[in-house]
Amino acid sequence: MARAWHRDTYWPFVISFAGLLGLGLLFVFSASHYDPAHYEMRQIFWVAVALFFFAAGFLLGYRTFLGFSRLFYAAIILMLLYVLAVSKARLGAQRWIEIGPLALQPSEFAKLAVLLFLTDYLGGRPIFEKEHSTLLGAVMLTGIPMLLILKQPDLGTALVLVSMAIAMLFYWGLKYRYFIFSILGFCLTAPLIWAGLKDYQRNRIMVFLNPERDPLGAGYTAVQSKIAIGSGGLLGKGFLHGTQTQLKFVPEHHTDFIFCVFGEEMGFAGAAVLLLCYGVLFYSILRILEHTTDVKARLLAVGLLAMLFSQVFINIGMSFGLMPITGITLPLFSYGGSSLVSTALGLGMVLSIHKERSIF
Amino acid sequence: MMRLRIIRGVVFGGLAVLGLGLFRVQVLQGPMYRAMGEQNRIRLIPMEAFRGKVVDRAKRLLATNRVSYDVVATPEDVTPPVFPLLARLLEISESEIRKRMSAPREYPFAPALIKPDIPREKVFNLEEMKPDLPGVSIQISGIRYYPYHTTASHLIGYIGKISEREYAALPRDRYGMNSLLGRLGIEKIYDDSLRGWRGGRQIEVDAQGNFVRVLSEKKAQPGSDLTLTLDLDFQQKIEQMLVDKRASVVVLDLDSEGLLALASSPAFDPNIFVAPGHSQERLDILRDKSSPMLDRGTGSAYPPGSIFKLVTAMAALERGKITPETRLFCPGYYKLGKRVFHCWDADGHGSLNLYEAIERSCNAYFYQLGARLAPEDIAYYARQFGLGDVMRLEVTDMTPGLVPDRVWKEKHAHEAWYAGDTLSFAIGQSYLLTSPIQILRLSAIIAKNGQVVEPRLVLPDADSEESRPEKKRVAVSEANIKVIQKAMLNVVQSNKGTGQFARVNFDKMAAKTGTAQAPPLQAHSWMTGFFPYDKPRIAFVVFVEHGGPGGITAAKIVNDTIKLWNSIYGTGVA
Repeated sequence: MARAWHRDTYWPFVISFAGLLGLGLLFVFSASHYDPAHYEMRQIFWVAVALFFFAAGFLLGYRTFLGFSRLFYAAIILMLLYVLAVSKARLGAQRWIEIGPLALQPSEFAKLAVLLFLTDYLGGRPIFEKEHSTLLGAVMLTGIPMLLILKQPDLGTALVLVSMAIAMLFYWGLKYRYFIFSILGFCLTAPLIWAGLKDYQRNRIMVFLNPERDPLGAGYTAVQSKIAIGSGGLLGKGFLHGTQTQLKFVPEHHTDFIFCVFGEEMGFAGAAVLLLCYGVLFYSILRILEHTTDVKARLLAVGLLAMLFSQVFINIGMSFGLMPITGITLPLFSYGGSSLVSTALGLGMVLSIHKERSIF
Repeated sequence: MMRLRIIRGVVFGGLAVLGLGLFRVQVLQGPMYRAMGEQNRIRLIPMEAFRGKVVDRAKRLLATNRVSYDVVATPEDVTPPVFPLLARLLEISESEIRKRMSAPREYPFAPALIKPDIPREKVFNLEEMKPDLPGVSIQISGIRYYPYHTTASHLIGYIGKISEREYAALPRDRYGMNSLLGRLGIEKIYDDSLRGWRGGRQIEVDAQGNFVRVLSEKKAQPGSDLTLTLDLDFQQKIEQMLVDKRASVVVLDLDSEGLLALASSPAFDPNIFVAPGHSQERLDILRDKSSPMLDRGTGSAYPPGSIFKLVTAMAALERGKITPETRLFCPGYYKLGKRVFHCWDADGHGSLNLYEAIERSCNAYFYQLGARLAPEDIAYYARQFGLGDVMRLEVTDMTPGLVPDRVWKEKHAHEAWYAGDTLSFAIGQSYLLTSPIQILRLSAIIAKNGQVVEPRLVLPDADSEESRPEKKRVAVSEANIKVIQKAMLNVVQSNKGTGQFARVNFDKMAAKTGTAQAPPLQAHSWMTGFFPYDKPRIAFVVFVEHGGPGGITAAKIVNDTIKLWNSIYGTGVA
């Protein structure tokens, strides 16, 4: 049994996965140890749940989950609709479904649902037949949950869905001209859409692109976040010794802005280690992908890679002003059960691909 | 695989970009950010927008802003000796100051409000002591001010502090932790346009918390001003007529459909809700038995009494039950089975046609119409004139009133509708309830020969005028409306009319009185109509709660109101 585990496991993958979870836990603690809500205790519980789902993904294998993909997708759409209905009734944005003490965030699971359904869908349709209708199906399949998530409004998760779908279509083999036409089409229609917007809508977009325009809201966070990370310097201020983030200059520092805490306390050296961990994880996913011949397995791996990479890039990028600020978690690192569990389940499935690898 | 290579390139290229970016921010620019961070040099000062003004039709200020000097303190910069000194200067306790400083704030280093609206000489005192008061400063803000105090207070309304729930749900660029929101009247309904957009400043301060420079600034955008149709002068003088009464007078300009005056007495001073202090006055107002917060013109419904005979008459004419010349006999009462319904004139009016029945407000005549009509018929015509429904007007807490029918009574009173109910209904009693503004609208529609009138307090912009719906008519023929107009003329101008006290010597008036029974107290006093009869320019309603006979109490106020109107808007005939 132990030998089988050893043989079926791709060790760099598991080590980087465990390393990220462990580091995440430490810094959720750092971000919230003075907070009476004690997110770190809850995060320990969620890490345990996530490990369970990781094992389930690995042991049951990705094929089992692909078989349920349609059902899962339908359930997620219903949950997203429910969330919208509730937030309309409460007159405020709401992204959670509360079940007893737990709060589920359906948009996190929606990423996984789209990934599975799109894998099953594209994997069952060869590129040389009916390229148009397949493309249309894929766009709709991604578009429906994306619109529901945009409506929440959760721009970050919607962006992740788009990057994931683009990466999968690209890898599936969609002709280059489709991508070129899409980009051209977007560039051409953008001015028209812009002209049709109301003043306040334009203002929102301008602030989104350039937070300095709004020193009260996003701009404030952007500057404070940059100060926190920059003041970490090369070696950081030491674990639990961050001043900016601990003083709550940066909001949401146990979730979306966890990297601020990390960057301030561990400095550039720590940040480089963290990037290396993600690099190893991404490299492992690519290696696993190269050793399988199953089209669906490959699509699944590419989709998950795109999902994780876009989150890492947007999250870390926004914390030092490279990307605009949107609410998005740092995978395996930020506080949050839904994000942790869905990411771990996805990674478990990818690792199960490794079991069936062809040796060459 | 070419495509896989591209994906690999994007992923590792992206990670490299992140690494390089972090190297720049943390290593190359690290010392700069560290300096900024250690001294917490960047502070955020939100700036509230000035609220738009509310003016009357002649641009006289009804709601404006005055300057308020507020003492604020940045708790992080305050040293212990400040507390006793500040407490002495402001005459508040040290513990109160501490409490204020630990109240939730929107941003770290945001100044906490210690005492708003201090007198000017205190400002000088404080400025002199500045070296001994680190962290304390004076901020200038706008405080809402209603220069005419009780005048039109129900309509203008007031503003109040945002609640925690509202703050959480509303957008940050318009609502801050200390923002004020419209709570009543125009202030509430037009809150969105009166409120501007907040601004803010990111400033850099030195280690002592002194201002160094502005890093970025977004100017606050003041809210838009709003013009009401009211005439302040007219409104004020009408309110003076109503002092010590529980009453309402509403006057509508028929051409623009704008309300010239909408007075309700007693009134309250909205300033006590916006200026600091005054909590005792607020409690007094809320507990006052005469309900000064209630707008008697729009927010409360009463039986209309005989005024409703106008509606019953139109129902009978339209349904073909009578012609204007149909004569019915009034012996002073009307018998329905064993029950006797009395006319107000026990001697009886004798034989009357419709004109005479309205002129003298004969109950027996209208009992006989009630006997010929189904309650649904009367209710149908009442609803044609907007009774029983909330009016589309820029006023908060409007009442729909109540137009009863069989279905309503069975559902709410759990009792069948009796024939006697229809008789009471026909003379405006029973379950029927109307607000003065609804009665005003009834008169306005009659004055405009049946064209639907939508009274307004705010005139629409010139460019949105075309989007207004087409002029609708009520389902009463013009010929029948003319009959009612003529009967209303007789009410005032005939020597047997019930409304003679309202008569003026410079032009003819058409109106109808109402004396609505409200046992055990005195009856409610009503009168409504339009003026002048030939070319109507205004419609009006006067209502006095428990004021006694409409032909006396209300008619005298109508007389005063029309004279007043004529002195301002009239052709100078008087």
